Amino acid sequence: MRYKIYVFSFLLCLGAHFTSVAAQQSYVLSGSVRDKQTGESLIKAVVRIQELPNAGIISNEYGFYSLSLPKGNYSVMVSQVGYETLVQKIKLDSSITINFSLQTKNVLKEVVVESSRKNDNLTKAQMGTETINMAAISKVPVIFGEKDLLKTIQLLPGVKSAGEGNSGFFVRGGGADQNLILLDEAPVYNATHLLGFFSTFNSDAIKDATIIKGNSPSQYGGRLSSVLDVKMKEGNNQDYTVNGGIGLISSKVSIEGPLQKNKSSFILSGRRTYADVFLKATEKFKDNILYFYDLNAKANYQINAKNKIYVSGYFGRDELGLGQDFGIDWGNKTGTIRWNKIISNKLFLNTSFIYSDYNYNVKLKNGETNFNINSEIKDVNLKQDYTLYTNTQNTLRFGFNTILHNIRPSTFTGTVINSVAKTGRNGLENAVYLTNNYKATNQLTIDYGMRLSMYTLMGGDVYNIYQNGVVSSSIKLAPSSFGKTYANLEPRITTNFRIDDEKSIKAGYARNVQHLHLLSNSVASSPSDQWIGNSYNIKPEIADQISVGYVTKVFKSNFEFTTEAYYKHLQNQIDYKDGAEINTVSDVESVLLYGIGRAYGLELLLKKKEGRLTGWIGYTLSKTERKIEGINENNWYNARQDRTHDISVVGIYDLNARWSISGVFVYNTGDAVTYPTGKYNVQGQTLYQYAARNANRMPAYHRLDFSATYEKNKTKRMHGSWNFSLYNVYGRENAYRISFKDDPNDPTRTQIIRTALFKWVPSVTYQFKF
Amino acid sequence: MKKILFIVVFFTIILIGCDKEITLVLDDNKPVLVIDGSITDQAGPYFVQLSLSTTINNPTRINGVNNARVIITDQAGVKDSLQLVSNGLYKTQKIKGMEGGTYNLEVEVDQKKYTASATMPLKVNFDSLRINTFPFNGEIRYSVIPVYADPVTLGNSYRFIQKINDTIDPTFHVFNDNLNNGKVNQRPLRGGDDNLKIKPRDNVFVEMQCISNTSYTYYYSLNLQSGAGPGGGTAPSNPPSNIEGGALGIFSAHSVQRKTITIR
Repeated sequence: MRYKIYVFSFLLCLGAHFTSVAAQQSYVLSGSVRDKQTGESLIKAVVRIQELPNAGIISNEYGFYSLSLPKGNYSVMVSQVGYETLVQKIKLDSSITINFSLQTKNVLKEVVVESSRKNDNLTKAQMGTETINMAAISKVPVIFGEKDLLKTIQLLPGVKSAGEGNSGFFVRGGGADQNLILLDEAPVYNATHLLGFFSTFNSDAIKDATIIKGNSPSQYGGRLSSVLDVKMKEGNNQDYTVNGGIGLISSKVSIEGPLQKNKSSFILSGRRTYADVFLKATEKFKDNILYFYDLNAKANYQINAKNKIYVSGYFGRDELGLGQDFGIDWGNKTGTIRWNKIISNKLFLNTSFIYSDYNYNVKLKNGETNFNINSEIKDVNLKQDYTLYTNTQNTLRFGFNTILHNIRPSTFTGTVINSVAKTGRNGLENAVYLTNNYKATNQLTIDYGMRLSMYTLMGGDVYNIYQNGVVSSSIKLAPSSFGKTYANLEPRITTNFRIDDEKSIKAGYARNVQHLHLLSNSVASSPSDQWIGNSYNIKPEIADQISVGYVTKVFKSNFEFTTEAYYKHLQNQIDYKDGAEINTVSDVESVLLYGIGRAYGLELLLKKKEGRLTGWIGYTLSKTERKIEGINENNWYNARQDRTHDISVVGIYDLNARWSISGVFVYNTGDAVTYPTGKYNVQGQTLYQYAARNANRMPAYHRLDFSATYEKNKTKRMHGSWNFSLYNVYGRENAYRISFKDDPNDPTRTQIIRTALFKWVPSVTYQFKF
Repeated sequence: MKKILFIVVFFTIILIGCDKEITLVLDDNKPVLVIDGSITDQAGPYFVQLSLSTTINNPTRINGVNNARVIITDQAGVKDSLQLVSNGLYKTQKIKGMEGGTYNLEVEVDQKKYTASATMPLKVNFDSLRINTFPFNGEIRYSVIPVYADPVTLGNSYRFIQKINDTIDPTFHVFNDNLNNGKVNQRPLRGGDDNLKIKPRDNVFVEMQCISNTSYTYYYSLNLQSGAGPGGGTAPSNPPSNIEGGALGIFSAHSVQRKTITIR
């Protein structure tokens, strides 16, 4: 009943918008926006009409735009940060197609986190959204000198690092599995390499990335906390270029160029670490294996003016091992085929066929015996996304998404055990969505939409139903039959009210539903993480988030100040019983516990986007709690990632045309952890007594990093730059782990030991392009 | 070559964590009763140790509770009032442990009552010990494998107490048959501690206990209580056990078999 009311009122307001503007007679100006040098399509470029301040549109993911205008003579302004604004006079007396090519600005003007135009944040209804420009993050210091998308987004308010040097992240109190990470639309299930120290994103192959903290438009769905939408470069369709970097830990190279000039292009990018090469040189560690590699490839082909095809793929693998006896390898594979079709000058269609796979293998060999553990999650995904540029005031986006999941939980094989054949479970995730961007007045913009997501259990496995941890009944679903279906409506709305040219206020509400869940023994991402879909016991996780925000220009419009406050309520959160063995237990559902969560906070961000000094100061004040039946005596407790204060300061300063320096400072309250309150002695051993869960704090974390970049004189043929960086400048030994143990000299005394991971980490990277 | 070595040394310096002892302000501790009792298939008497927990900063020792009333009954109706030996250690008078027997423990301290019930699983024969060798970072390491044939029914659990030349291995070695039900065990007892390496000519003593699943979970949880922070394990908590009434510890009924092997 409640759903019916939702749908009804939704249709009602949609209808109201269309009838009010249907009477106007207009022509359509449409086309694409591209980079002049490389031919890369420009996403989120702003196309405006000088004579009509209310008319404007942002180019979509493929650079396409469409504007409905009354007959007339106009000056069209096309702008994008980092590019020279283009102004072109047009005479509109019929519908026309114009493709714009923008010229890049001087390199000095690059900024790291940007909005697509200077006042963009003031007019967009979108909330909690930041776009990272990959070309510019090269100057932000990072550990091991490897510029890294995931570590840069951790410097934004509301986004928290999973730990020292770790690429895992938490958004507004959500878990690491509650972020939807998309690489060219393909979900990436484990976005890290080398146990979290590197992300799977090779920055040379990435065009840009956008993070949306919970208020995502309804074309996105499936995770509670955030969407990180990463787009690979398309490749230069004008000229061949080779790009590369040589670092202490890894090296990478990419090649891009036209397949047909102006029409089609490709990019191929590879990266490999070589810590193992050094390990081999030592006697003690020569049997150790430790490396990862990844490969990004993409090509696009323009069939004709209305049709374009993109094919992109990612393949990455980690290998870690000790001689012949122990080995673990894991990795993601993704593939995307997309077909852009301009159905009419007002209707844009993209059809995507996506494949995604994550798996891991552990092998243990012990003399004559061996033992293997592996797990896999495979997705086949079909998506159709329509954008209808209805009129000057409305842009409608709608479509559907069907994903077939095949999830095989940890499976054990080997000579010493009973190899249990686990076929894995299949689940069908379907979604339909509709969202409308409505420019109500010159000052008021509303994005509203609805997503209907469904998850259907598919046959081929036995599902147990548990009551208080005991099987009450069992359902055997025959292959090719369907079990229970969960259906959830996800209403979403964001509004922006522009007070004047300098200030605007925003408010939003969004419901997100998650049908896949991660069971993990570790805090951050670990290769042995296993995913599980909904079942008869596991219900979809639901998050409702309300947020309000205020954006203003300050200090003579040189700075932009953004503040957002949010409150989030989470349902059907999953944890497991104390002492549960989630990997070996025959049915993991027997050890799961369920509960609710809440998160609230205030985020402040002061950005300087232009000039010789750029950067930002971010601050987050937040609280994140969980209440799970069967944990902490059913009382609320702090989630592990609950950190009260979180500060990050990022500054980049261009000294001259050759040298630029940058610094990062971070401070955050220590993670919520559980220290023992007491101890006792049993059978000669010291055991610890615990009280409330996560009632204690790790010591506060803070760190300063510094880096300097030297760019050699640009010659026609070759362009090179050196980056020198120092991680943890003042060498603070930040606590990675606190452990309690008997003092070896006096076993009746308890020692509290702090383990720090890194002191100083210097690095040098050489980057080249020709 | 020299250059590569330099880089390796350099990485070792930056990557290897450094440990330092620190002081922390910890929450006030409420002392609670700790019950550690067992009944075995060996000849009695059997013992129940009662003690109180203490704060982290106090010395670790057994703070015995001497004013308790401790009773164990079995399903045959035998009721045994345990006698205080010293420092909270109580011993049985007449009860006899048997495979398959169920035992109920009742402890009363300062008008507070604690109860526990344990059933001794059927004994699985401990056939022998064998030596397992494996190369590790350029050296040969040793471990021992307890050989026993797990019965075909699912749900057997085992605990192993390992002593190397009379030094007790602090790891709680517990196995269950989740993965190798009905098979001859080939899993070694891995010493978690580098200080307790097994070397040639060492005598390794192993006591095998056939324990209940409740005891298994208890010891398994104790193993998870290692460290806090991003580098630690799961959030630690008091291990689940069979004791009702708010006391820590476990009351276990298990069989006992022992073997010794010399590493050659």
